[in-house]
Amino acid sequence: MTTGSRTPWRQPLALVGAAFVVLWVLVAVLAPVLAPYGPVDQIADKLLEPSAQHLFGTDQLGRDVLSRVIYGAQVSLPLAFLLVALSAVIGSIVGAVAGFFGGWVDGTLMRLADLVFAFPGIILAMAVAAALGPELRNAVLAVVVVSWPSYARLVRGLVMSARNSEYVAAGRLLGSSSVRTMIVDLRPNVAGPVLVMAALDVGNAVLLLSGLSFLGLGAQPPMAEWGSMVVSGMDYFDLWWLWLYPGLSILTVVLAFNFVGDTLRDALDPRTARAIRG
Amino acid sequence: MKIRRSAGALTAAVALSLLTACGGGNAAAPSSPGGQGGKTLVIDTAFQLKTTDPARMYEPSGLLIDQTIYDTLLTFKGGDVTKPIPALAESFTASDDAKTYTFKLRQDAKFSDGTPLTSADVAFSLNRVKNVKGNPSFLMAGLTVTAPDPATVVIASEEPNTAIPFILPNPALGVVNSAVAKQNGATDAEDADKTDTAEAFFNKQSLGSGPYVLESYSTTSQVVLKVNEKYWGTKPAYSKVVVRNTQANVQRLNVQKGESQIAVDLSPEQAKNMGDLQVVNGASPNVFFLFSNNNPEISKISSNPKFQEAVRYGVDYQGLVDLAGEGALQAPGIVPSLFLGALPAADGVKRDVAKAKAALAESGLQNPTVKLNYPSDVQVNGLNFGDLAARVQANLKEVGINVELAPASVQTALESYRGGTEEMGLWQWGPDFPDPSNYLNFLPGQLVGLRAGWAEGANPALEELGAKARTTVDDAARSALYVDIQHKMNEGGPIVPLIQPAQILVAAKSVTNLQSNALWLVNVRELG
Repeated sequence: MTTGSRTPWRQPLALVGAAFVVLWVLVAVLAPVLAPYGPVDQIADKLLEPSAQHLFGTDQLGRDVLSRVIYGAQVSLPLAFLLVALSAVIGSIVGAVAGFFGGWVDGTLMRLADLVFAFPGIILAMAVAAALGPELRNAVLAVVVVSWPSYARLVRGLVMSARNSEYVAAGRLLGSSSVRTMIVDLRPNVAGPVLVMAALDVGNAVLLLSGLSFLGLGAQPPMAEWGSMVVSGMDYFDLWWLWLYPGLSILTVVLAFNFVGDTLRDALDPRTARAIRG
Repeated sequence: MKIRRSAGALTAAVALSLLTACGGGNAAAPSSPGGQGGKTLVIDTAFQLKTTDPARMYEPSGLLIDQTIYDTLLTFKGGDVTKPIPALAESFTASDDAKTYTFKLRQDAKFSDGTPLTSADVAFSLNRVKNVKGNPSFLMAGLTVTAPDPATVVIASEEPNTAIPFILPNPALGVVNSAVAKQNGATDAEDADKTDTAEAFFNKQSLGSGPYVLESYSTTSQVVLKVNEKYWGTKPAYSKVVVRNTQANVQRLNVQKGESQIAVDLSPEQAKNMGDLQVVNGASPNVFFLFSNNNPEISKISSNPKFQEAVRYGVDYQGLVDLAGEGALQAPGIVPSLFLGALPAADGVKRDVAKAKAALAESGLQNPTVKLNYPSDVQVNGLNFGDLAARVQANLKEVGINVELAPASVQTALESYRGGTEEMGLWQWGPDFPDPSNYLNFLPGQLVGLRAGWAEGANPALEELGAKARTTVDDAARSALYVDIQHKMNEGGPIVPLIQPAQILVAAKSVTNLQSNALWLVNVRELG
């Protein structure tokens, strides 16, 4: 696999994306230092406009919106990373097993994936979250349930095309086991595209989690979570600071990860990049 | 999740927010005021509407609509629900044991088809409500209605029932044209719940004697009422009334732009800065309350009387009132301020953190942690249970009580609430009828008392007062008894009344004599 040139990272969008990712990760890590108040402290009058004291204003319970947005990064980002990692690992294992062994194993696993694909992601996630009960942990599970099949399908295809290549056959002849073949011989061919997909997925995961919280199925009060902050702002159209800042946070995180993902693809996976560019 | 380019993800985000932003949407704009020579009134409200058949109707929007179509024996004027006044009945007398009420009907009332209204129509209508066993049938529980002569109606109750004059103004007890109703499948027989088939007919055509008749009806978009040409009373000011189904944030825009004249569901924050509009600000009769389950089998913590005392004095009532916005009140007792027997505002419990901490120390509990249940997906008067719960959580934290919030969808939460299994609960009671006897439900061994684990015999003195209040007819004596009961409830026990939210009407200046009523929100008949 060639690593392209360094040019993809010189594109302005890539730089912007990377900058925002770094920024948000820093915000999440340094939240206790950066936030002027606690995320659930009801310290001020309610619904104050943004001012020097409360840069983003206060919400309907007199909590500082800036602090809640900052602490919100601590909720959304780690969870998004965690669930993308979970779906990537689960999906890759399923896909690798299906692609490597083929036959009925492949058939069963892929039909299972098709089953999940048959539903629109957010609807299925809502159903799962509603069935498990409205809690952030369950929302994460729900998102994992809907997102692993993409990885399975991707990895299966890659494994199938690679498993018949001569170097794999040579390895098998030398006596390497199935597990060893998958890990040692096939993994390098698969890792790049999976990484690209995972990077693109982080944004989606943030969005889906916020969406579930927005619908009341994810984070529960009084936790500072962007999606649930937006929904509590919905009752007050005029009081723009209630929904604008958490909304912008979601927007910038999602955009940033998408830019980074695109760039990663250009760098790691030149074939798809070329195919998409046409 | 498939690999999507950023544009895809963005579209999803925008679509998601738009979906909710436009919830309810804008109902079809009505024809401009002045159609057919008269004035048109447009009222925007988020529909809670299942039917306009009085015998089956008990939802807020249905009450508003049926109140304009059907006349009742007694009614209320303006916002005052402490004094029932004559409507179809000219006068009434009550027996001393509060078991028999006799009503004299006025002679000039007639239905929209011109037939005179008689006692037979009244008896048919009320018995039908009882026997159809729909949502409002509990209003008639234990009551029997007879018509000894065309101008007299007698209501007999099995138990002493002092609330009868306060129950009768409910639009569900509106009188229907019995002859036409019977021709279209209505019956007041005992088995009416199986044999009455008139609901669809009532939703097409109204059979009342009130100032308006039904022109068109939809539970999802709008209900149109036009003036009853044969109305026996004073003609109303508006010849046409359109009640539209609209979400609160859209209501606000519509009333500002003049597309509607009255917006019913705005929260205090939404009703701010309304410029050239009138804002009618009143307290709602809905009471939010908190309880700590008194049943030791449910929780050793919440059933501890000293813990309950700590909660009572730990809650910042003024803070909750501020949270609920302008027009909201602290509920001084469980009976809302608008009703007979309500406590004066000064008698409400006041926050006393030192006292609460002392009580907690006496309770012998170390850093107790309790679960507070509440419904998270409903609003009452524009107020979220979740916001109140988060505030209560913060209040009690200062006292040393850790509250874990346990929100659930209203269906799920109602199950544990009604089952009496919640350690602590934050709920709301909307009156079934505007009489303090409705709040005897909060006593030990009664409906709500049991939900709070307050079993019969838990407070004999209080229960005795309740039994006495149930049978006392004289309003002054009744009032004194309810005051006594609430003072006792404020001294101790699992139930803590919190607040009455604001009930706000925002209307164009052209609408006069607008008052908010606890039962039907807006009395269209009275508007000028």
